[in-house]
Amino acid sequence: MKLRTLGSVLALGVGLMAGAAMAEYPERPINMIIPYGAGGATDISARTIAEPLGTAVGKALVMANVTGAGGATGSVAVQNAKADGYTMLFARVGSHSVNPAMKATLPYTLDDFRFVTVYEINPVACAVRPDSGINSMDDLVAKVNEGGVSYSSSGVGSLLHLAGAMVLKEFGVADPLGQATHIPQQGGGAAATAVLNGTATFICTNSSALASFVANEQLKPLMVTTAEPVVGFDAPTANDLGKPSLNQLVGWTGIAGPDGLPDDVADKWGEWMAAATADEAFLTSMQQRGSVIELMDPAAANAFILEQYNTFKALVDELGMRIEG
Amino acid sequence: MSLLDSLSAGLALVGNVEAFLMLFIGLVVGVVAGAIPGLSATMAVALTLPFTFSMTPINAILLLLGVYKGGIFGGSIPAILIKTPGTPASSATILDGHPMAERGEAGRALGMALYASCTADAVSNLALILFAGWLASFALNFGPPEFFALILFSLTIIAGVSGESLLRGALSALAGLLLATIGLDLVYGTNRFTLGDPNMMGGLNFIAVLIGLFAIPEIIAMAWNPVAHLGRTRALGKSRCTLADYLGSFKSIIRGSMIGVFLGSIPGIGAAPSAFLSYSEARRTSKNKDNFGKGEIEGVAASEAGNNGVAGATLIPLLALGVPGDVITAIIIGAFMVHGLQPGPMMFILNVDIIYGLFIGLIVSSVFLLFVGSVAIRGFRFVADVPKRILMPGVLVLCIYGVFAVNNNIFDVGVMFVMGWVGYIMMRNRIPAAPFLIAFILGPLLEDNFRQSMLMSGSDPSILFRGPITWFFWLLTTITVFAITRSTLRKRVPLS
Amino acid sequence: MPMSQKSLHLRLGIAASLFALFLVLFAIPTFVFAPSNIGNIILSPKFWPYVLAGLTGIIGLSLLANAVTAAEDTPFEDEETVHPEGSAPWMRLGALAVIMVLVMFGLPRLGMVWTAMLAFAACAFLFRTRHPVAALVCAVIVPLLLYAFFAHVAGVAIPQGNFVRLP
Repeated sequence: MKLRTLGSVLALGVGLMAGAAMAEYPERPINMIIPYGAGGATDISARTIAEPLGTAVGKALVMANVTGAGGATGSVAVQNAKADGYTMLFARVGSHSVNPAMKATLPYTLDDFRFVTVYEINPVACAVRPDSGINSMDDLVAKVNEGGVSYSSSGVGSLLHLAGAMVLKEFGVADPLGQATHIPQQGGGAAATAVLNGTATFICTNSSALASFVANEQLKPLMVTTAEPVVGFDAPTANDLGKPSLNQLVGWTGIAGPDGLPDDVADKWGEWMAAATADEAFLTSMQQRGSVIELMDPAAANAFILEQYNTFKALVDELGMRIEG
Repeated sequence: MSLLDSLSAGLALVGNVEAFLMLFIGLVVGVVAGAIPGLSATMAVALTLPFTFSMTPINAILLLLGVYKGGIFGGSIPAILIKTPGTPASSATILDGHPMAERGEAGRALGMALYASCTADAVSNLALILFAGWLASFALNFGPPEFFALILFSLTIIAGVSGESLLRGALSALAGLLLATIGLDLVYGTNRFTLGDPNMMGGLNFIAVLIGLFAIPEIIAMAWNPVAHLGRTRALGKSRCTLADYLGSFKSIIRGSMIGVFLGSIPGIGAAPSAFLSYSEARRTSKNKDNFGKGEIEGVAASEAGNNGVAGATLIPLLALGVPGDVITAIIIGAFMVHGLQPGPMMFILNVDIIYGLFIGLIVSSVFLLFVGSVAIRGFRFVADVPKRILMPGVLVLCIYGVFAVNNNIFDVGVMFVMGWVGYIMMRNRIPAAPFLIAFILGPLLEDNFRQSMLMSGSDPSILFRGPITWFFWLLTTITVFAITRSTLRKRVPLS
Repeated sequence: MPMSQKSLHLRLGIAASLFALFLVLFAIPTFVFAPSNIGNIILSPKFWPYVLAGLTGIIGLSLLANAVTAAEDTPFEDEETVHPEGSAPWMRLGALAVIMVLVMFGLPRLGMVWTAMLAFAACAFLFRTRHPVAALVCAVIVPLLLYAFFAHVAGVAIPQGNFVRLP
């Protein structure tokens, strides 16, 4: 065990240099940019897939967190990189569908990237404090109509920000932004804490971020947005409540390169991802955290993201949530 | 299960060589990583995380905790030796640690840093074991209005680190507050002073500003006068931290540990403000008040106690509530989840063996740290003997690598250089750098919590006085401001 | 002329007051964006910058008042009076600034390791080291060691540049 650990330390540290130099892609380590901070959902997902993916690629994957501005700083770094397949991005729902839908001043658009895959879907759940007296979405909506309800998010332009508004809108609240107050926090951890300590009334975020609070009965789930129930969440699905359109509201992680990525590189990634996501250890550890592993090829990934983007864009325009300036 | 049963269950879990070996390796990795500027404790923990996936949960978490604690201490080594804090938490250590090294007392300063760190670490671990539940439920009472009052009080630290002139200290603090407004607005997401540059939208990187402000001005000063250091003793000599030194600073160490425990158990503050608060409290009550900032050993002791006191206490909200107090504990929570553990109240019932195993590991870690730290000090002391005109270019290169590594962004290297010149101009104009840094850390917290409070109450300012905690900090702030004003006037050096 | 508290505060006071004016009149209106539909002024993104600009102005005026009312004009004791080398120090400061600009230029093009080597050597000679050979040896070894550590132990993607790539 000790030796094995040490071995893996060395192997990961020195990099998988053993692979002989081949003329074809990849002939050197690939930089993988994670646009969010260490320990976050994107980071953990990226580092978990890095291991089976590195084996499939046969070259080292150099993971680099480039954080800031809700994922924009890291995304721009990839947008400006050479489209040679040696700089790739772990794209996330926040950086590549909510942000482009909400921010007029974002320095990039979806067209600046070529997605090679989406490999992970995260159901979204809404939760409140158990002692809040809110036991269902109907209770929540009734409370919103009384006034004084707020919801927390990890920042402006995050999935959480949009999710709160979208859920209320779907459940018939006429003006979600006016009737419920959005209280942004610095990061997802702080957003959940804000509900715990009573700063905000409810939160809608990835189920993995809420799993431990729900298991500890510190938070009470009201619904999940997927069609299938989520393990550990004793709450109705969106379809149970007759709101199947909320199925669009899910988190995801994918991999993208700059626009202009050659076709053979994209195809290579398709093969690698197929091999990597079949890895048993990867599957178990991802599912343990509440992710649904769903591999999409480049075409399917692009279609999926575009559809979500359009849904969000329509909602943003309808509610006047667009950020100018 | 009785306490004894829990203890023995925990002991059974950690009572093997492997668990202690992991803790030990973690501490070594942490101290080395902490001692390299830019490779802060946060990054060391993040880099270690993937290696823990294949371990048993207790080994994994002990390894990460070792890295964390080692990193926080390790940061003080370069802070003292080359005026470059290895981690943000050790920036307060520079204030007195580096002048001591300049005087040829690097060994004494490093020794004191180690002893204060270990003591604070032990106090912090004890607080975790004894009061975790109580402190955690207390911490949940901290909403935005309470934070606002606490941070407003913390800003009074600026008076303590302003040096010879309060006015120049305030000027420095304002510059820090203004610089911290760069980036995206929290509530509306609009641009503030970003000049359209995507790199600025995330705000200026804290480590880049920190290193730029402290390390680079030294290099620039060397260009101004390359022979200024000649004739001054710099070699380490035989200077050591004596028992008398330790006892003399003992009160400050304990006070610093308490401050660390308190601030650590509240999610969202972090170790750097704690170190500064501890430092300014030590200065306020010390007999050698005037010697602070010029190489007072008690200052080193207080800062290091303040930041290491946080290390154990951040585990309080983590274990008792499942809430991460800072970035590092956020990563450690990730490690818990990878192993299917869900930190929170239920963990004390479901996984009590792991909890007590951790407690035992933590107690041992303070002892290990003493050992690893004293070896590290011996290893790094040679730095003080390197000719300064070769050392400084080396520091420059190290800073370039380190600042880049923090966020993998070349832009940050540029921020560091620019801040270096700002720091140099401030140095030449006798404007202290410490208030700048504190304001840069606390400014965004102050503004964010103020606006969150206003959002909560619908812009009704009375929410800022909503409960006993806020009253307490408002009172404390008032008293402190009153005391500062009085002592400034009494000195009859008009506001200077 | 030796610097005294009076002259220093006069200088800082003028600078701070002017800077506050610059912020209020130009920088905040131009570079801070606020949505048009904000209900309350204290929630605006511009509120806090304006508060800070105001405080800067107050501190600036206090510094001026302090400088004007200070009676005695004693120079700081530990201030260097006249630099023995004339204009040479200014040249060196300028040279160091040029080195820094070149580093920023070289990092993405030459790669971090080669740039760092050149920067190390240039600085060592700028500081007129007494051990030129040792400095050159360090200039080569230190960046390489740091590269080996950061790239292969810490797994950081150190910029490699367009010319010579290191393993």
